Amino acid sequence: MNPYTDVNFFEFFWVLGKRIWQFATGGGTGLATATDEIQLGVLACCSIACGLLGPFIVLKRMSMFANSLSHTTLLGIAGAFLFASHWWGSGMTDLSTLLIGACISAILTAGLTEILSRVFRLAPDASIGLSFTTLFAIGVILVSVFTRDAHISTEAVTGNCDALQLSDFRLALSVAMINIVAVIVFYRPLMLIAFDEPYLRALGFSAPLWRVCLFFLTALTVVCSFRAVGVLVVLALLVGPYLTARLFCHRLKRLVIWTPLCGVGISLLSVALSRAILSSAGVALSTGGILTLTTALVFVGGTVLRTVIGRAKPKLTLHMR
Amino acid sequence: MDLFFHFTDPILRAPTIGCILMCLSASLAGVVLLFQRKLLISETISHAAYPGAIGGIFLLSFLGPDFERFSFIAVLVGALFSSWLGLQSIRWLERKWKISSDASLCFVLAVFFGVGVLLASGLQQVQPMWAQQGHILLFGQAATLTDEHMVMYGLMSLACFLFIVFAFRPLQAILFDRAFAKSIGIPTKFVERIFFILLLVSIVAGIRSVGVILISGMLIAPAVAARQFSNQLKTVFWLAAMFGAFSGWIGSILSAKFSLPTGPMIVLVGAFFAVAGLLGSPKRGVVFRLIRQAAFHLRCMEENVLKGLWKTEMDRHALKRLYPSMLSFVLFRLTRHGWIQKKGFVFALTSDGRTKASAIVRLHRLWELYLTEQMGRDPQCVHTSAEEMEHVLTPEIEERLTKLLSDPKQDPHSQPIPERSSL
Repeated sequence: MNPYTDVNFFEFFWVLGKRIWQFATGGGTGLATATDEIQLGVLACCSIACGLLGPFIVLKRMSMFANSLSHTTLLGIAGAFLFASHWWGSGMTDLSTLLIGACISAILTAGLTEILSRVFRLAPDASIGLSFTTLFAIGVILVSVFTRDAHISTEAVTGNCDALQLSDFRLALSVAMINIVAVIVFYRPLMLIAFDEPYLRALGFSAPLWRVCLFFLTALTVVCSFRAVGVLVVLALLVGPYLTARLFCHRLKRLVIWTPLCGVGISLLSVALSRAILSSAGVALSTGGILTLTTALVFVGGTVLRTVIGRAKPKLTLHMR
Repeated sequence: MDLFFHFTDPILRAPTIGCILMCLSASLAGVVLLFQRKLLISETISHAAYPGAIGGIFLLSFLGPDFERFSFIAVLVGALFSSWLGLQSIRWLERKWKISSDASLCFVLAVFFGVGVLLASGLQQVQPMWAQQGHILLFGQAATLTDEHMVMYGLMSLACFLFIVFAFRPLQAILFDRAFAKSIGIPTKFVERIFFILLLVSIVAGIRSVGVILISGMLIAPAVAARQFSNQLKTVFWLAAMFGAFSGWIGSILSAKFSLPTGPMIVLVGAFFAVAGLLGSPKRGVVFRLIRQAAFHLRCMEENVLKGLWKTEMDRHALKRLYPSMLSFVLFRLTRHGWIQKKGFVFALTSDGRTKASAIVRLHRLWELYLTEQMGRDPQCVHTSAEEMEHVLTPEIEERLTKLLSDPKQDPHSQPIPERSSL
């Protein structure tokens, strides 16, 4: 029995708090996690993972590149699926095969984009656009040739936040952990790669190495989160919380702290909203869609607040420290 | 003929012609975006059209099943509205909040598409009968296009085409130099506004047959392909229209033949054109670039060998650094040019070859002298630069150098500079 059945928006937080209290004091009986809690956990982990990288990605102008990575993931999944089902007979494909496929497709996308802009001398927007639309088209065709089912492709793009399991939570948690460790340990080079590459080189770091490092973290986050929440939510969480936090923070260090927190807040709100709509109207809306809408609303709310308080301090430049 | 059968067959006619028209207008819009370096905006606009299209179906579904045949009008109107809203949001984010165009494109894309997914999930549960209508918008379905669609797309494409034709001069001026266009009194804002409306129209027209996720490929690929073949804006427009129309045609035939989704097939054919252009175009293609590089490299080697032979004759120095793996091939080519001759076991210069070689050495030494006298470089370090420049200098530059250095006889290393000779 799901303890969240028929709760409204405010009761959701009450029930959640009660259950966390029970869990913390060990007084609860039957602590099987409810689906809402798994969903919340996965979304919170994803928003921490994305929120930590968001500032660097946006500052490095890599967000449309993240978008292209998220699209071509489909090719990797389809390829891995075919490969696995062809070589190991059965249609059984475990998570790691799909993840490896998705990583390969991410590397392929990055390589193709680089080749198009370096060897073929295309402008960056044309090379990103050409490479990902082509790879994505190949992915869709692969899927439809071998499965005659466009359902997989739809799920891969729009994601499905509403059928999450505990394994998804573990995956999301590990990505969040990796990103936390990476951002804490490599904060300085990541900051410099986003802000001032010549300075980074002058300090004796290798710029290409750290660019690849940032790319790798981005690819890992996008690829691992797609399975849980779909590329859409990943993109919204990469950019939205950062832009909201950016309205109020002018220092990168604070942004790196506030962006994940903002993301966690958004995911909490959206899970509660999704449950409330289900309870009151009886319609199970896509939680991913609700989350992106909430992200947008939070940003718009932030701009209103910023306009109200902003007259006193209209400073908008971002500082490195 | 099988290919033209698609134009006359009553069932296949509408999808084929519809795809061609829609790809044509999309590729024209793509050329303008290519020159503005804003190609990725098409990706965002197409995703932003999704919630409006679904919303249109949603609203129509409340009117009842009788209105199902009007659904494509609902999709068009809704998609136009929401993509316009998306465009305005991008502007708002960029201008009001000074957010980089990259981040604002990504944010608008994610939010609008997310709202679309939200609406689609609602539609699925409230009006399951209508959900299929929304589902096909993701990846497109050309097979179910009717003659009404065809007329509609024809009008839209005609609007785009006429705009490009009649607004070509102002558009050209804006694309090349916006400030200049403004200064000579062209209403830049007005022209750009109309262009963006037509961009929305051409994208919205395409989502029914190619789908919101891939329509941006239809703007990008033909424009990129056309750009490779020409430096003339007018020609680029014509070529892009041709590539676009062809990819629509061939793509829809292939998709009908193998019963594959239309959108990806069209995009793949377009991408094929783009890759062919990138590889094989005579001026910018990578293949020809590599060939040109190899030819230049070979010429450098030939000239080095000639110079080496000339020097051995003059001062009996051994041939230095002249045993690359290509040597026999280079010697063969030089023989064929008639610059060297094989006498027994040794190669000797002919009189033509001697003239040619002395011309090269002259360029080398002239450049060394120029560097030391005019640029104030140390004579010790001018040799490397001259080794490269001797292959590049043209007769005109040689003449000017001669005049500048007042017809010198000796280079900085006290070696004689050979007389100028006509080859």
